[in-house]
Amino acid sequence: MKREGSPLKGVMTIALKEAADHMTSARMHLIMLLVLLTAADAVYAAIDQIKATTSEDPFLFLKLFTVARQPLPSFASFMGFLLPLVAIALGFDGVNGEYGRRTMSRILAQPIYRDAVLFGKFLGGMLVIGIALLTLWLLMFGLGILLLGLPPSGGDMARSLAYLAATLVYTGVWLALALAFSTLIRAPATSALAALSVWLIFSIFWSMISPFVASALSPVDPYDPVSIVHAYETGLAVARISPATLYGEVATMLLDPSSRSVGPLFMSQMQGALVGAPLPTLQSILIVWPQISGLFAGMMLLFTGAYFVFQRQEVRA
Amino acid sequence: MYDKSRMLTGALVACTLLSSAPAFAQTDTMQTAAVPPHGFWITTPAPDFTAGAGKAISIPLTVINDTETPHRAALTLSGVPDGWTYALKGHGYEVAAAMVGPRDTGDLTLELTPPTDAAPKAYQLDLKADYGDGAVDLPISLTISDAPMDVATLEPELPALRGSVKSTFKYKLKLTNGGAEDALFNLDADVPPGFQTTFKKGYGSDEITGIPVKAGASEDVTMEGKLDNAVPAGNYPIHVATVAGDQKAAADLALEVTGSPELALTGPQGRLSGKAVAGEASSFAFKLDNTGSAPAEGVKLAASNPNGWTVSFQPAQVPEIPAGASQDINVTIKPTEKAIAGDYMVTLRANAEGTSQSAQFRTTVETSTMWGIVGLGIIGISVLVLALAVMRYGRR
Repeated sequence: MKREGSPLKGVMTIALKEAADHMTSARMHLIMLLVLLTAADAVYAAIDQIKATTSEDPFLFLKLFTVARQPLPSFASFMGFLLPLVAIALGFDGVNGEYGRRTMSRILAQPIYRDAVLFGKFLGGMLVIGIALLTLWLLMFGLGILLLGLPPSGGDMARSLAYLAATLVYTGVWLALALAFSTLIRAPATSALAALSVWLIFSIFWSMISPFVASALSPVDPYDPVSIVHAYETGLAVARISPATLYGEVATMLLDPSSRSVGPLFMSQMQGALVGAPLPTLQSILIVWPQISGLFAGMMLLFTGAYFVFQRQEVRA
Repeated sequence: MYDKSRMLTGALVACTLLSSAPAFAQTDTMQTAAVPPHGFWITTPAPDFTAGAGKAISIPLTVINDTETPHRAALTLSGVPDGWTYALKGHGYEVAAAMVGPRDTGDLTLELTPPTDAAPKAYQLDLKADYGDGAVDLPISLTISDAPMDVATLEPELPALRGSVKSTFKYKLKLTNGGAEDALFNLDADVPPGFQTTFKKGYGSDEITGIPVKAGASEDVTMEGKLDNAVPAGNYPIHVATVAGDQKAAADLALEVTGSPELALTGPQGRLSGKAVAGEASSFAFKLDNTGSAPAEGVKLAASNPNGWTVSFQPAQVPEIPAGASQDINVTIKPTEKAIAGDYMVTLRANAEGTSQSAQFRTTVETSTMWGIVGLGIIGISVLVLALAVMRYGRR
């Protein structure tokens, strides 16, 4: 049966309504308060550290993202850890919550296609995350200008904007995951727990699991140096299944202009190299482009999965 | 008071006379035995001397009047050849007569200037003084010598030196003042363009323009010469002259400049940096100049590059680059496939006989955009999958 008109008709209406709901929800307020407090704390600690140790740096503002003072982690690692939580909070009851409140059939009674509901929910979540990230980013730069007394350079701006975009994609992966769980699992509490366990596994336990998996896949022969390289590369490949690893590599590359590679480096590759010379911004992006496109593709595929399940669901139950 | 002292003196004289009466008596008899001749004379310390032509001669004269009366003496000089000038001077005036009191002497000066072309021989002059009671003669014999009297000499120890454009040439010169007076000699060197010369005393470090030399003594002077790099090879004369009043001395020196080649390697548009993509060859137009003064022969080009890189030159060898000429060199740099993005130093060297030049070329390696395209493809595929899912599972 052919349908008429665009399947995406009404997406924006739903997205804006969804965003407005999120903006006013207590859940969102609490989680954003947590993020804001930790971020401000990390930046404040970083500024203290920069003031004490850095004399001159062409990319001073990027240090706001990466410099950490013990025991606090840096801003970038905070983001990698907490943003999935924001995304899960936004998306874990996106679909099954509508069933729970018995509002799904009421929404679908509107003259829109079913596609628009899921697209709208995803876009609404992304809109909220985008606004939150932009606010964080502006807050960072404001604090930086206020406390460092320096304007950010063009390189700072370009790199941190690229970092902002990559962060949005990374959070999108988790939002798509949470939405997928909310379509798969009927009980909101279960879907929240499922999403949270994936988050915990990838954020905390994956770095412990991946070496075991790697050593099982390519065992190290102590008499063969090449096997050590292979084992390392396998370990890296396994670790990169986790979006958190990919995001960490992207953040390192974009926020540290002097870093050149995310993989293993051989001495022969460093021969004649000028260590510490900053890379052009575009080159840094090009180096982590596989990671960024991997994150983007992951987000799209997770959403497609959620879409596939949602389209085949019985909505009248 | 006056009377008192006179009395005292008188008493002293009386005492002296009393104590040494026999000695006095003896002296008195000797004086009476040899009575000094009385008369009127005119004398000079050097009545027979040699002088150079063209120079003023001054002859000191003493007029002695050993008589009891003052005498006025009219002075005349005879035997002066034509063209000579002379003057008798006393108390700053030109005089024709002198008057000397009894038992007194008077000083006069005869200033005589023989012309420069005066024949070198002996001249007899006669100065006659007519003092009324008689006349006295003072014959003066003057020989004009043809050998110059006051001669300064400047003798180089090593008059001819040889070296390259870059070396410093040091000529040691011995300056002798042959004159009768101390003199300050000015030093000057006449050199071809592109030369800088400085004078130093002996082995000292102060640069001088003149040096004082005592009469009859000599001083060591060092002349240092430096050359511009642009001075071509060849033989160059250097004329050193020194002047003090009318004393002059000169020395001719020679300098043989041997040429040397000098290479300069400049990158594209004068820059020593460029971009290359990992695994792909990039070529850069270099220029090899010979800025030296001799042709550079057997020029070979080589590079030290990071492991796995290939750096090739077109041409890799140049048989000769003439002085002042340049040669275009096409340098192809191919970073290894595995090169990571960033800046690398590649050292390029040009070696010729006797000279070499190296340049550090900063190569910025860029990541191949292939993986960027692959990433875009992955994103495109994922979007396509979503679009297909929308098309396939879209419901009414």
